[in-house]
Amino acid sequence: MSDKERIKSLIKEAALYQKQGLFEESKEKYEEILTFIQDHERYSKDKKLIDAVKGKIRIAEDNLDEIDKTTETPALSQEIQDLISRLFSSSKDKDMAAIEGAVALAKFGQYEKALAEFQRLIEEGKMPLVAAKNSLMCHIAISSPDAAIAQFEQWVSWNTFSGPDLKYIRTFLENTLEKQGIKADLPLVDEAPDVEGESEEREVDMIDISSISVELANGPRKGEKIELQVTFQLGNKISTIIPAQQKYLADAFKIGLRLSGMQCFSPLAIFNARGIVSGLKIVTSGPRRGSHALDITIDGV
Amino acid sequence: MAVFNPKDRVIECKIVYYGPGRSGKTTNLEYIFKAGKKYTNSELVSINTKGDRTLFFDFLPLGLGKIRGCDVKVQLYTVPGQAKYNSTRKLVLKNVDGVVFVADSLEIRRKENFLSLKDLQQNLAEKNMNILKIPLVIQYNKRDLGEQGIPIMPIKDMERDLNSKLKAPSFGANALKGKGVGETLKKCLILTLRHLQKELQWSQ
Repeated sequence: MSDKERIKSLIKEAALYQKQGLFEESKEKYEEILTFIQDHERYSKDKKLIDAVKGKIRIAEDNLDEIDKTTETPALSQEIQDLISRLFSSSKDKDMAAIEGAVALAKFGQYEKALAEFQRLIEEGKMPLVAAKNSLMCHIAISSPDAAIAQFEQWVSWNTFSGPDLKYIRTFLENTLEKQGIKADLPLVDEAPDVEGESEEREVDMIDISSISVELANGPRKGEKIELQVTFQLGNKISTIIPAQQKYLADAFKIGLRLSGMQCFSPLAIFNARGIVSGLKIVTSGPRRGSHALDITIDGV
Repeated sequence: MAVFNPKDRVIECKIVYYGPGRSGKTTNLEYIFKAGKKYTNSELVSINTKGDRTLFFDFLPLGLGKIRGCDVKVQLYTVPGQAKYNSTRKLVLKNVDGVVFVADSLEIRRKENFLSLKDLQQNLAEKNMNILKIPLVIQYNKRDLGEQGIPIMPIKDMERDLNSKLKAPSFGANALKGKGVGETLKKCLILTLRHLQKELQWSQ
């Protein structure tokens, strides 16, 4: 291949990468062409050619800059927001599905809509602590920790939550801010004596766990570490499914079994926890028929 | 995980198109949408950014009619291929039933294919799913570019790179022209429905 043909071939390649949106590859190819030209006396004085190639490199760089600058949280239409909310909420429980939908909106950067949804859930008393926790996370993501603190102060002054709940939310916010290196002066909360019925709700506010790792304490695979996906979580109670074909795993658990070295994986952190097997039963209907539903109550981290 | 309503005999499953950025995942869905309008009343939803890069996901619901007395509905999704959008990919992969991995045949994208497949394997593993067990089809896209003198990887080399352990069904494709798109989807649907049939015992 002659030098001229070589340059032509490289230009064709670089142009195609540009057309395909592979701007990094296009830029590299044009740089290769530039080096080739500058290394060959016959072309190294061809200012027009050199300028043209440099121009192409600039175009590729501009495209890359534009991609970098593109906002990652575009404003989406109400229709798309509703679609996201619907597609990414799979729980059969209506309130849990509403939370999942709002969390999905937040994960896709639709914070304002997510906040409105969390606010609605708080007002309607549907999983208010989970909604409050996510609401604070949204405030931090949208603007600043100050917005989250202001929201908390408003809840305190408006008596939106009971004393114990506010105290719990305060601890959550304090810990979240601390992780970001922020020492906030949050208003103190007078914890009124807990009334019956509130304790169950308070349990709800546990970090979202996506999977757990536990060591088998019994059975032929004793000592083996296994990972189980969390299919449902309500506060400190998590549920996992052991497929029917892995019955030996189910046999390694029994109600009341203490799990001391459990590792919990969440989108925010990996942490160690203690728990107890609070339920183990065979699924008798539906798509998971024959599998085992294993419930674990986390009682310490 | 598929949604199965035994009373109404409706099954709804989710297939995700995975692969490196700009490999042609959205192009696959666009072609399916154009070619399969009779199977859907819905629009193809795309949330794109500059240069038609998928920012969140593409979504296309299809109705496949009745199979063994069950009404089968399929939701097709793509994920954003760019490395920085891993949290979105994880979210879209939730409850997946089948995967189409769209690999880029361009020689220059060899490493990106590797990395994306590894990313898929890790993201599935986080959801307690095994890439060796999930219904998976690999598509080697942009095969036509070889005819234009652009360096592309021979299929046998791509098979060795990506599919030597997986041994998944694979197809060459030119998604822009629709070549290989239907075959890829059909194979993935067959594998997924077979897998679900076994899991859900929905033919009984």
